[in-house]
Amino acid sequence: MGTFIQLVVDGLATGSIYAALALAIVLVNQATGLINFAQGGMAVLSAYIAYAFTRLGLPLILAILIAVVVSFLIGAVIERFLIRRFEGGDPDTAVVVTIGLLALVTGICAVRWGYNNLAFPSLFPLTSVEILGAVVSVRSLATTVTIVAIMVALQVLFLRTKLGLALRAVADNPSSAALSGLPVGRLLMVGWGFAASLGAIAGVLVAPQLTLTPGMLDTALVYALAAVILGGLSSPIGCVVAASAIGVLENLAAVYVPLVGHDLKIAVPFVLIFVILVIRPQGLFGRKVVVRV
Amino acid sequence: MKIRNKPGGVLGIVAAASIVALSLSGCVRDGAGQGGGGSSTSPGITDTSITLGVTTPLSGPTAGPGTCTVAGLAAYFGAVNAAGGVQFGDGKKRTVDVKSYDDAYDPQKSLSNFQQMVADNVFAVTSGLGTPTNRAFRDAAISQEVPQVLVMTGDPLFSDREESPWQLGFVPIYQNEGAAFGKLLAESGAQHKVAILSQNDDYGKGYVSGFKEAIGGAANVSVVGELTYEATDTSVDAQLTQLAASGADVFFNAMSITPLVISSLQKAQQIGWKPSWFLPSNTSSPTAILQPGGATAYPGIYSVSFSKAPQSPAFAKDADVVKFLADLKQYGNYPDMPAFPHCMWSYMVGATLEEAFKKMTEPNRDSFMTALRDIKGLQAPLMLEGTAVDTTTDGQPAVSSVLVQKYDGRGYTTAEKFG
Repeated sequence: MGTFIQLVVDGLATGSIYAALALAIVLVNQATGLINFAQGGMAVLSAYIAYAFTRLGLPLILAILIAVVVSFLIGAVIERFLIRRFEGGDPDTAVVVTIGLLALVTGICAVRWGYNNLAFPSLFPLTSVEILGAVVSVRSLATTVTIVAIMVALQVLFLRTKLGLALRAVADNPSSAALSGLPVGRLLMVGWGFAASLGAIAGVLVAPQLTLTPGMLDTALVYALAAVILGGLSSPIGCVVAASAIGVLENLAAVYVPLVGHDLKIAVPFVLIFVILVIRPQGLFGRKVVVRV
Repeated sequence: MKIRNKPGGVLGIVAAASIVALSLSGCVRDGAGQGGGGSSTSPGITDTSITLGVTTPLSGPTAGPGTCTVAGLAAYFGAVNAAGGVQFGDGKKRTVDVKSYDDAYDPQKSLSNFQQMVADNVFAVTSGLGTPTNRAFRDAAISQEVPQVLVMTGDPLFSDREESPWQLGFVPIYQNEGAAFGKLLAESGAQHKVAILSQNDDYGKGYVSGFKEAIGGAANVSVVGELTYEATDTSVDAQLTQLAASGADVFFNAMSITPLVISSLQKAQQIGWKPSWFLPSNTSSPTAILQPGGATAYPGIYSVSFSKAPQSPAFAKDADVVKFLADLKQYGNYPDMPAFPHCMWSYMVGATLEEAFKKMTEPNRDSFMTALRDIKGLQAPLMLEGTAVDTTTDGQPAVSSVLVQKYDGRGYTTAEKFG
């Protein structure tokens, strides 16, 4: 029983990493209608920026805050000068652009900081507490709490604020939004900026555990995309729930289903996606997209 | 990047296989011509210089160790060239040029790098890190009769003379390392329960088979848990939780992924499991892995080595270490304290190659291979007392003797016995 609970707790901790990235992907999708494959790469860049500031002698929390602000600007600039040229065109083209962006950002990190694993300081201590016989590290507990707080904030932003409504309107139908007087361009920039900031938080939360390398979030991105599809592209809560479920189910399947084992567990989220998309194409928590003809 | 890797895997293999097939069928005639039979002069060697090629990961997750495989070699020959070069066995003095090619630990890239090296007139390929990447162009190297020697892979295939006539591994094969651990444990006299976590490939399997063979007859050692993981996994927390429940007092972690070893060291102590650890030589770096992992929490971290550890206070004033660090800084473009043993290894590769150059009587590849396979008892710089380069035994790499080391909080010291 102790092992079981530990596996669940471990799974939640791993899931929180996927969730952090998934939230940023949902945010960009909600604000611009795109899926940004470069989200992980941008988050890594943000973590490197925070790292660079800590090396200058700044306290960690200050370095992170600066990285969050700088990331907002980077996100907005990327939207304005790169993605803007592909908006309104074929969405597939824009997706390919974001994949190119991923390669570019990874390359920039590598050129500037190299491929060696850099130790990133953690905001939270490496101590642990015991809950129900399972050992939970304070670090992953704090990561989870932060993710949940961000999730709630995003949910409120999108569903309860004017800005959120405007962002959704722009993503949903840019031309109608423009006709009703919304500053479409600026809202798109804000959406990308927010997502990049959120990515920065995700990056600095997971960097201490994964150690900072340019490809740090490459595998996590695959899981995050799975979580986004599973939870529904439009639902922050959905993607966090899905990410946690993926983390937990993966662990349990590896240990308790002999056929799966530790070597096949990466297939678990994708089998889940397949099953769930057959039953609910919009994802567990997503809204159905209705297109009028 | 990784996204492409998964679905592309099978395609990649097919592509790599077809390139191999093409190069096999297409280039054999070329190869025979330029190979180096008789007393002709091989490509890549002139009266004043010789060119070596290294294909190794200079980008990607394995770039840290990969960069070191070039830095140490460049450092060694940088110093040799500055002193005038190597006096070859044919009486001519030559300088040694090292060309490096990035393969990002991608077998397809290492194969195309090899073709590029042939086009660039490289005399021999050496020092590069990685089993899959070295395997990718092994057949091509054989058919074109280009030496692929003193490479950093623990795969025994490269040291089998019949299978690999133009190859020779440098570092101990995985089995050598696993066996050294097993022997130490079997001789300890006390009862031990061992948990094993290994990478699900030849690397992990080699370690485990060497270890099990060594504990085969020992009544005092029992394996109580054995799990695997994939090299692409981001976390092995679940495996550690499962193994911790086995109550093992010794943990053999045959893992080659740096961040995973760090997080394993952190995770096990968090869940209150504090066994003694056995770690492979390439993932036991004191500065890059043990310190961030908080390794001092464990009763003992053991690894194997054949090289002096520059970080260790015991070797701080050692003449080899002082010269090595100076060369690395001046010629290797590597100003920091090396975080990976590959920097030391490739420096030793340099010394071994120099020995072969001194013995080769004709400026061609045949003569080089003969000379290279005839080195015995060479104490290359940085080698630990009790280890030596021996290239004369079929089936064994250039270095097959290792000493078990114990972490002392800063570096390693040789461990005579377990505990």
